[in-house]
Order: sequence, then structure tokens, then C-alpha cells
Amino acid sequence: MKGLRKVLTPFAPDQSGASGVLYSMGALIVIIDAGGCTGNVCGFDEPRWHETRSAVFSAGLRDMDAILGRDELLASKIKSACERIDTAFVAVVGTPVPATIGTDYKALKRLIENKIDIPVVPVISNGMKLYNEGEKEAYKALIDEFAEDAPFVIKDQIVLGMTPLTYGKDHIDITLDDIKNIRGAKKLIAASSSGIDACEYLGQDFEIVSLIYKNNIPEGITGKTLVCHDEVVGKTLRDAGVDCDIATFFKLHDSVRQDGDKKITEEDEFIAMVRDGGYDTIAADICLKDLVPGYKGNWVDLKCFAISGRT
Amino acid sequence: MKHEAVFFTAEEILKRGKAGIPDELLSGKNLVYSSPATLAYNSPGAEGFGVKRAGLSVPESVMLIVAPGCCGRNTSLISSMPEYKNRFFYLEMSEPDLVTGRHLNKIPDAIKEVLAFLKDTGKKVPKVVMICITCVDALLGTDMDRVCRKAEDALTGGEFEGVKVRPCYMYALTREGRRPPMVHVRQTIYSLLEPMEKDARSVNIIGGFAPLENTELITYLKLAGIRNIRQISTCKTFEEFLEMASANFNIVIDPEARAAAEDMNKNLNIPYIELTRVYSTDKISSQYKALASVAGIDINDSEEKAEADEAVAKLKNAYPDLTFNIGECTNANAFELALSLVRMGFKVDEIYATLAPENFVYVKNMALLSPDTKIYCNMEPTMLYYKISSSKAQVTVGKDAKFYCPDIPNIAWNQDTRPFGYQGVRDLMNKVFEALKEAEA
Repeated sequence: MKGLRKVLTPFAPDQSGASGVLYSMGALIVIIDAGGCTGNVCGFDEPRWHETRSAVFSAGLRDMDAILGRDELLASKIKSACERIDTAFVAVVGTPVPATIGTDYKALKRLIENKIDIPVVPVISNGMKLYNEGEKEAYKALIDEFAEDAPFVIKDQIVLGMTPLTYGKDHIDITLDDIKNIRGAKKLIAASSSGIDACEYLGQDFEIVSLIYKNNIPEGITGKTLVCHDEVVGKTLRDAGVDCDIATFFKLHDSVRQDGDKKITEEDEFIAMVRDGGYDTIAADICLKDLVPGYKGNWVDLKCFAISGRT
Repeated sequence: MKHEAVFFTAEEILKRGKAGIPDELLSGKNLVYSSPATLAYNSPGAEGFGVKRAGLSVPESVMLIVAPGCCGRNTSLISSMPEYKNRFFYLEMSEPDLVTGRHLNKIPDAIKEVLAFLKDTGKKVPKVVMICITCVDALLGTDMDRVCRKAEDALTGGEFEGVKVRPCYMYALTREGRRPPMVHVRQTIYSLLEPMEKDARSVNIIGGFAPLENTELITYLKLAGIRNIRQISTCKTFEEFLEMASANFNIVIDPEARAAAEDMNKNLNIPYIELTRVYSTDKISSQYKALASVAGIDINDSEEKAEADEAVAKLKNAYPDLTFNIGECTNANAFELALSLVRMGFKVDEIYATLAPENFVYVKNMALLSPDTKIYCNMEPTMLYYKISSSKAQVTVGKDAKFYCPDIPNIAWNQDTRPFGYQGVRDLMNKVFEALKEAEA
């Protein structure tokens, strides 16, 4: 059945992706939820939370707040927090609750900005899409708000999409300064699907490559291989000489896709690719092996935090 | 900007009175800071026995989480525990589902597919399927009882006839409402019981989802001739669980089980007695006297009380000026524990807990004995700026207290199994003693 998961647990959702992009930017991040979504972000999907404190807050919504659409109360809570916490800007991140009640993010931005004198960046996410979509929305919102048309500082290189959800502990954080000066960067690198989306949104030239796997083929990959990870990881391995098809649960851009590659959604689609593909090697997070217990070939564990939660 | 965590002393709070508890210490008045305690507290599915684990405390059950993917994401933490393998399944909601509500129509077929999958892969077919739904369906006003009845009906006449389907509401939005998720899930669990003949020598202990630790309560009940003392966590099979309906009375050890106990009183004719976990040995003694009186049994607690008092004395003699910091992510009411420790002669420098009005009485008494004790709220945004350097404590209790005071010996005291009565006091004192001795070594 479409949407039914019998073996795997759900992958990182868009709100986790959005929070992950914002985490290192010195923002006051407000997740518009009752608490559970923030628990998922900080308690599970944000490995940095255990190492460095960041201002990630739950809006602490209650049923009547949602039913009555008490945006004014939310704005007042944010104002109160801003009076006591240093922050460069406020980011409000969507969840299923605002998606259900049809929150108008533009209006919410105006409402909050009328109470405080720092920018408010709304990121439209709903917990039903995957993390790469949330990362993309966060990049777009940041670019819209902060990217300068003619920056004074020229950055040599800015990497977009190298977030913990794709790369675990090998992530590269970007700063608010990077976003401000992004239009003047000498080189833009898209390190994952959301990086491609962000670069395309900017409309500038960019290179699609995973800095982790560039000229670094994981040990054990031999013969015809199925790479199941972010599309850029697959492309980078292919560019390095691996004979592979790409399967991804996330997004597959036309600029990456080749014959044999597939965007998959359901567990059964992965099972079918493995069953029918005749692959010598599967390069994918080891948790996916539970889907194909009968697979006798070679398995190379390509960790993906967004899938398994392993760093 | 001060860059300091906001706190109030017990004396300041007493001066303000119960009606004047500062907004900074109350839930619902501010954005919620992501401390370990608030992550566990806020998210009914995040840690400890949230709705998900609680729902699966019914023996031979599985859970189908029908929700946006984000609601089931952290379940992989639980799924990796051996006792939950092959017990969680997910029906992910999409954006069109949100608009059309069609996800509800898919539930009967999804249940059939899950049951067939378990059968075909050689796993045990469950007796109960718990359907866990979340905030979205709370807002959509889904009648989940009806959906579950319909799903049960759809199994009639097929190979899975008889499998029960029940709802679990993981509604974080309602956590301060009349029936918060952890109250509701207990009602759901015990609603599976059906009337049966009473056994005068059977008692249930309800409220927890893991067994009580080796507490004297069980011993007292056995000495009083109670033959069957049942807790849901010790029932190995669904049939064994159903025998809880034969109990003569229930002992409620968590106020969140009160509504379930009321239901059982009404539907199964099982009355209940409520016992509270406290850390004052005098209060524990009073509770046992009340239990003996109500249940018509004899309880002689002098030996256990003496043991607990001895453990307190041992710690006090070794560390006469011992100062604690107390968190709320622990098997205790942080305010009651703090007051009990102060009454034992220890000091409490800081408490990290949300001050619900019903806990004001503890702070009021604390203000008389320890007016300078500082009270922080785990949820308050300025906890971002909490600095360890300001604390005078030598030991902390609670997982959250460790987060704020990482360099001080800590007793997490948040184990799944519940400490209770004199055993709780004795073991906590001994753990503190051991932790301090270990730190010295």
C-alpha cells in the first residue's frame, strides 16, 4: 500500500531539514508546534544539539491556540524571547499544525516584525515532505531575506547542502555572512539535492559534487552498483568511476538523472530495484538491508542520517 | 541584555502567592526552551514511556502510526530496542490526506497488510493493533473510536477476525487539557479489559508501564494474603493481561492513571486506592497506614522505615552539608523531593522544574526552611544562558540536572522501573552516597 512502511521508520522530515540549515546562523528558531516536532528535531534529527546549544524553541501551541489561530499570542511570546535573547533574526518553521489550520506565513512575518526590530524569516514546511524540501525552503527564505545583490565581501567558495542530515558529522555549516555574500561567491558547490535547488534558485553557475566522496570511493564498492543515498553522493561516485545506478528516496534532478536512476518513495520500489537490477554491490545505509534480507551481494554501508539517524 | 537564566527564590515565590506565580515559571506563557526535560515532557512520543511505548505495553500488540512522517521519525530510537522489533508500522499522511481525510479510509487495509506481513514472515500475529494518531487528527476532529470499530469490522470473517483495534492519541496539543495523552492512553489500555469473576485475593497496581522496583509494597500485599498482584508490565500474554479484570481493587501509583481507575470502577466494578510516590518517610508511613485501613489488611512497616531512615542518616553523617540541585526529569516530583531533602537536613541550591500551581504547597514549605533555594523553569527561554558556575551543589538528581551541571556527580534517577516508598528513599540515598564516594576516589 502506498505510504505504508512495514520495515523502515520515517525519514527526516522537512522541518528537520529547515532547522538544520538555520541551526548555525545565530537565529532564534521557533518551531510552530505543540512540542513534539521540536522534540524530534532537537532530540533526534539535530546531532549538533548535543554539542552546542542553539536557540531552538517550540511555540508551545495548545489546542485552543491552533483552533482559534492565536498568532498574536505567538508573536507576543517571540517578542518576549527576543527581549531576553541575543539573536540576529527570528526564523519560524512550519509543522503539520500550521499546515492544518492554514497559517498565512507572510502575515505572520508582518505581525511579528511589527513587534520586534529584527528580520523574521518564515520557512514553509509541513512535516509531510522530506528533509531536502525543508532545506531548500530554508535556503530560499534566507536568500530572499538576506542575500545582497552586490556584496562587498567576496567569498572564494560557498558549499550549499552539506548538512548533518546528509553527511552526519562531516557537515559544513554556512553562516549568515555566507548568505549575505552568496551572490558574490567565486564558486558555488551543491553538495546535495537541496544545494542544487538553492543554486538553481540563485541562478548562478555551480558545481554538483560531494566533497566527501570526490575522488574517494568507499572501500568495497565493486562491479555494478546501486547507490541509494542523496543524488549528489551517487553522481559523485559515478563521476569517480563507479559503474552505478542511483536510487534516492529524496529528489532526483534532471541534471543528475541518467538511464537506470530512479526516484523511489516506497519500500517495495527499493526491493524491486535490488531484485531486478543484478547489482554486485549495494552502497546504502545498512538499515535498508532489512528490506532485502535475501540479497546475497556485497553491501557497503553508506551512512545517511536522514534515513537511519546514524552519524 | 543580561545573558542570564531567570530564576526566583522560594521566598520570592511565597511572597507572590499561589495566584502570583511568575509567568517565567509557568507552562504556556513563553516559547519553550529545548532542554532534555522539555523534550521528554513536550513530546508525548519522545522519551521514556510516551504514548508509543505506553500503547505497546499491552502484551501481544503492535502499533500503526497514522500521521505525517515527522511524528514517527524518532520512533527509530525505540524500534532499535529488542522488545519493540516488528511492533511499529507507519501509514504516512500526505498533503492531499490532510485535505481529504482519505488516510482514515486506508486504515483497515493497512492493518490487514501489516497482519499479513507478520504472518508471512513467520512473526506472531498480534491480538491488538493500536492506531496512533497525532495533532493533525486532533485538529481535524477525527472520530477515531469509529475508525477503529470500522477497522475491526473489516477483519470480521477473515483470517484475522478477533484482532482488536484501539486508538492511541499522541496529541501534544492537548497535553494540558482535560484528558492529556498520557491519561488517555491509560484509559485506552484498560478499556480492553472485560468484566470477569472477581478474585478477592487479586490486586492490580496501575499507573506504570514498567514494574515497580523491589518495593516493600508488594511484600506487604503478599503478607496480607493477596495471591495475585498484577502490573501490566509483568503480564506475558494478552490473556494474562485480561485477568487484571478479576482484581478486588486497584492501587493507583500515578495520578495519570486516575481516569483509567475511574473507568475500571464504573465498568468493571473495581474500586481503587491512590498512593503517591513521596520521599518523606513519615508521609510514606502515613500512606501505608491509610492503605491498611482501607484495604482491611495489616501492614507493619517499622523495619523498612528504619532502613530508609538509616540510609538517610548514613549519607547525612558522611556529608553533613551536602547540597543538591534537583531536576524534573526524574522519578520524583522535583518540588516534593527537594522539600523532603531539606527536611532531612540537606541543602537544595537549585530546582529545575515547571511550577504547576498544585506544587505551590511544596515551595511554600520550602520557603520557610530554605528561602534561598532557586527555582528555574526548564521551559523558559533564558535557560539557554544557564551557567554551571553559579551553582553551589555537590550532587544533582535528574537527567536534566546533569545537562545543566555536567561536571557535578549526578544520579539520573529516571529509570523505567519505578522506585516507590521506603525502597525509593533508601536506594536514592545509597546511590547518592555511592556517586559521591566514586567522585572522591
